[in-house]
Amino acid sequence: MAPLDTGVASNLFSVGAERLALLGKHHKALMQGYLDGFIDEAAFSESALKKLIAARILWRPDEQQPLALRPLVSELIASMVADENRRQINADVAEKLEQIRNRVQAYRDAQYKSDYSVAELQLQRLTEHVHDLSGQFEEAIDSLWHRLNSDFGFVASLDDKIRENERAQKQLRRLLDGLVLLDFNELIELSEGNNQLRKLLVSQLQNQLSSHHSSLLEVQKRLVELLARFRQQQSRSMLITNMAAFLRQHPKYQPADYPNRSDVPVLFNQAAAIQPQAAIALDKASERQILAELVRALPRAAVINLPDQQSASFAAVMEDEEIAARQQALKTDVENFYLRVIDKAGPLSALDYLTEHQLSWDSEIWLYQIIAEYQALPVDEKHMFAIKRDEVPASAVNSLLLIRDISLSLQAA
Amino acid sequence: MLQHGPLLERLLAGDFICQVSDEDAFRHLSLEQTQQDINHYLRPLNRRLVSNDDNSVYFLAYHELNKAAREQLSSQFALTVQSLLPLLEWLQLVQETLGRDSALTAGDTIKLQEFVLRTEDNQSLRQRLNQLASDRFFNSQSDALDNQVKLIFRRLKEHGYLLQPHSDRQYYIVTGKIDYLIDVIRFIRDEEHLPVDDTPTQQAIL
Repeated sequence: MAPLDTGVASNLFSVGAERLALLGKHHKALMQGYLDGFIDEAAFSESALKKLIAARILWRPDEQQPLALRPLVSELIASMVADENRRQINADVAEKLEQIRNRVQAYRDAQYKSDYSVAELQLQRLTEHVHDLSGQFEEAIDSLWHRLNSDFGFVASLDDKIRENERAQKQLRRLLDGLVLLDFNELIELSEGNNQLRKLLVSQLQNQLSSHHSSLLEVQKRLVELLARFRQQQSRSMLITNMAAFLRQHPKYQPADYPNRSDVPVLFNQAAAIQPQAAIALDKASERQILAELVRALPRAAVINLPDQQSASFAAVMEDEEIAARQQALKTDVENFYLRVIDKAGPLSALDYLTEHQLSWDSEIWLYQIIAEYQALPVDEKHMFAIKRDEVPASAVNSLLLIRDISLSLQAA
Repeated sequence: MLQHGPLLERLLAGDFICQVSDEDAFRHLSLEQTQQDINHYLRPLNRRLVSNDDNSVYFLAYHELNKAAREQLSSQFALTVQSLLPLLEWLQLVQETLGRDSALTAGDTIKLQEFVLRTEDNQSLRQRLNQLASDRFFNSQSDALDNQVKLIFRRLKEHGYLLQPHSDRQYYIVTGKIDYLIDVIRFIRDEEHLPVDDTPTQQAIL
C-alpha cells in the first residue's frame, strides 16, 4: 500500500474534523432522532440537512421514509450511552484476522525493501487492528455484563427478558466461536523472528484474549443461571394465575385426604407447635446463689414501678373480681330464667322460679336484675316479652307502688 | 446442642426457617451434621426436621404418625386448603398493584404505603382488595382501606409468609414460606392431575 501523501492526509483531517463538528453542532436534534427513530426535518435548516447527509450521518432508507441516523451513528450512540436495546455486538473475527495477516505481510515486505517509514506506518496500522480486535471483545463483554447486572431491566416483561437473555447467549456463543478462530500457532509463525511483532501478536494479544475468554465463560455461566431463574419466575407466575383461576371456578374443590394416607407427603406433615416452658428449680444447691440474685433483681424493678399504693390497689382488685364473679353468676341465672320463659307457654313468676330452683339470691336483687336485663334487651327483642309487675301501694296513705313479684311471658309477635 | 437452642425453640414453636427469616440458622440447617444432631434431639419429641423440595425452607414434621398426630395434620391440612385461594389472590394482587413483572419470591420487599397508595387510586384493585380482606382467612371487619391492608399483612406475618424487620416501620420481606406454598400447590396439581399449566406454551415463547 502506498503511503498517504500529506495532502490527502490533511484533507482527511479537515473533512473528518468538520464532520465530527457537525455531530456536536446538532447534538440535541440528532439525539432526539436517535430516540424517535427518525429525524424531524423541521428542526434543521435546508443546508444543515444537506451537510448531514453528505457527511453520511443521516440518510433516507427509502423514498417514502423520513430521514434517519445512519446505522453506524446509531451504533456509536448506543455504545456511548450503553443503551442495551440498540447496542450491537460485532462477533466477526475472521475479517479482522484477515486484515492482520495482510498487514503483517505488508510490514514484512516494507522491511525487506528497507522502506522504514512505510514499515513504521504498517506497524502502526497493525497495532490498531490488534487493538480493534481486542476492543471488539471488550465492548461485547462490557455490553453483556451490563445487561446481566441490570437483570435485563431495559425490557419490561419477563417474556422479553427471557428472549433477550437467549439472544445474549447466542451472541456469546458467536464470540466464543470467534475466539476459537484465533490460532496462536499461526500468530507465532507470523511473528517469526521479529521482536515487535511477537510482542504485539503473541504476548499482548494472547494475554488479552485469554482474559476475554475467561470473562466470556463467566458471563455465560451467569446468563444460564439467570435464564433458569427467569423461567422459574415465569412458571411460578403462571402456576399462581392458573391455580387461582381453577380454584375460583371450582369453589367446592377438595383435594384428597393426604394426612390420612399411609404415606403422608412431607409437605403436609407439619407438626403441632410445642412451646417450651421452664420454671425455677429449687433442688440444686449450686444454683441458689444465681436464683437469689435473680429474686433480688426482681422486686427492685417492681418497687420503682409501683409506689406506696401497692397493697391498697391489690386488695381492690381482689374484691372486684369476687363481685364480678357473683355478678356473672346472677346474670347467668337470670338468663336461664329468660330461657325458661321462652320454653314455657304461659306467664312465669320470678319469685316462684327463685324458690323452685332454690337459688340463693335475695328476692329484691333477683327482681331488680330481671328488670335490668329486660331493659338491656334490644328494642325488637323487648317486644317479644310481656312483663307484668305485681304491685301494691306502700301503705294506705302512701301511693308509692312496691313491686312484689314479676311475671314474664312470651308475647306473640 | 446448646448453640442451637434458640433455633430449636423456633422450630418447635412451628416456625419455618429460611434464608430470609433467619440466615444464620438456615446456614446451620443446611449442614448434614447439624441436621443429624437436631433429629437426634427431636426423636423423643416425635419430631423430625424436614424441608421442601429445593431445601429453601425447613420445618418440623412428626416422626411417627399416631392418632393424635393424624388429627393435627388433618386440621392443619384443612386450614392450608382453605387458605390457598386467598393467598394466591393476594400474590396476584400484589404483583399487579406494584406492577411487577414476576410473582413474589423470597427476599422481595413490599412497602405497605406504596401498596395502599396504588390501590387507593384504582377502583378495581380497591374492590378486589375489599373482597380479599373480607375472606375468612383474613376476616377483616373494617371498610377502611388502610385497616384492611394492615390486617392482611399482619395475618400474613402471623402465618410466617412475611417478615417485618422493624415493628414500627411498615415494610415487609417475603419469606421462604412462599416457596413452601408454591410447592404445596404444585404437589396438589401434580397429584390430582389438575388442568393447571405452569409452562409457557410454544406460542408464548415465540
